[in-house]
Amino acid sequence: MTALYVLDVPENTGVAKVAAEDPEVTVGRVGPYFEITADGSIVVDRRATGCRHAVWYSCVAGIAGGRIVQHDKDALRVEPA
Amino acid sequence: MTDAPLEHKVRGVDHAAFPTFDPAATVRFYRDVLGFPVVHSICAAGWGPEDHPDFIHFFFDIGNDDRIAFFYYFGLERQHEQARGDAYAGFGPEVPEFFVRSRHLAIHVDDQDDLLEYRRRLDASSWPVEMQIQHETIESIYTHDPNGYMVEFTRAMRPVTPQEDLDANLTIDALLDVVGEPEPTFGKLLARKAELIVERAADWELAQERTRQQEQEPAQGVTS
Repeated sequence: MTALYVLDVPENTGVAKVAAEDPEVTVGRVGPYFEITADGSIVVDRRATGCRHAVWYSCVAGIAGGRIVQHDKDALRVEPA
Repeated sequence: MTDAPLEHKVRGVDHAAFPTFDPAATVRFYRDVLGFPVVHSICAAGWGPEDHPDFIHFFFDIGNDDRIAFFYYFGLERQHEQARGDAYAGFGPEVPEFFVRSRHLAIHVDDQDDLLEYRRRLDASSWPVEMQIQHETIESIYTHDPNGYMVEFTRAMRPVTPQEDLDANLTIDALLDVVGEPEPTFGKLLARKAELIVERAADWELAQERTRQQEQEPAQGVTS
């Protein structure tokens, strides 16, 4: 299982919202963090999040059980380790 | 970790000091363009050692009684010949631009009106704003002063939330862990930080909730 942690602040809510649109992805919470989990890949479309440049490139708080294979102007993609 | 935190007794920046070879332009920039009052100066005949030049050390108020200060040394030639850099340090073409730009002074303003006021002042001068950027939670304008020092003005777009302080501390603890091991990477930091989030974030939130309840209880006692 792969987990992507995103701090719950106003700028980041779009990331969790867009991630949750994938039926294979579950969005829960650990304290003030969104815990975005999936058995397979987690993919977040940047344009759908509405995040500006600086927010997009600093929205990831932690990654468990996986690694970032793409984090660019198009998408954030986390693959299982 | 279990020790009581050290009492935080400092009160901001007394002064940050920089050398200048162009005091006339420096005064024009800080006093006449930006409107920073001159608040202190020292005229010193040398400073102990015989090879120390006579100098003027002069200070501008940057708000909050904090100050930026300059040294002008009579007769001192520039200390480097590099085209890039500032009065203090020069950088060759092998040094990446992001590194050259990393050291800068950011001056706080209250809101966007004030940020744009300083933008107006700079844009009407010989040192116009080079960039205006909305970062994660702050908006900033940048220019270089007459000495080549990068100066930023910044305003908060919203107050900092308590969870951002938690997040900052988890980042630093994760950073110290990964730089203590060979070949630190961003990926290793995010993996270590995920562990710290799982260990600590839920307890942190419960502690925050308890604190909020304790703060409310005395008030309720007064009114009942």
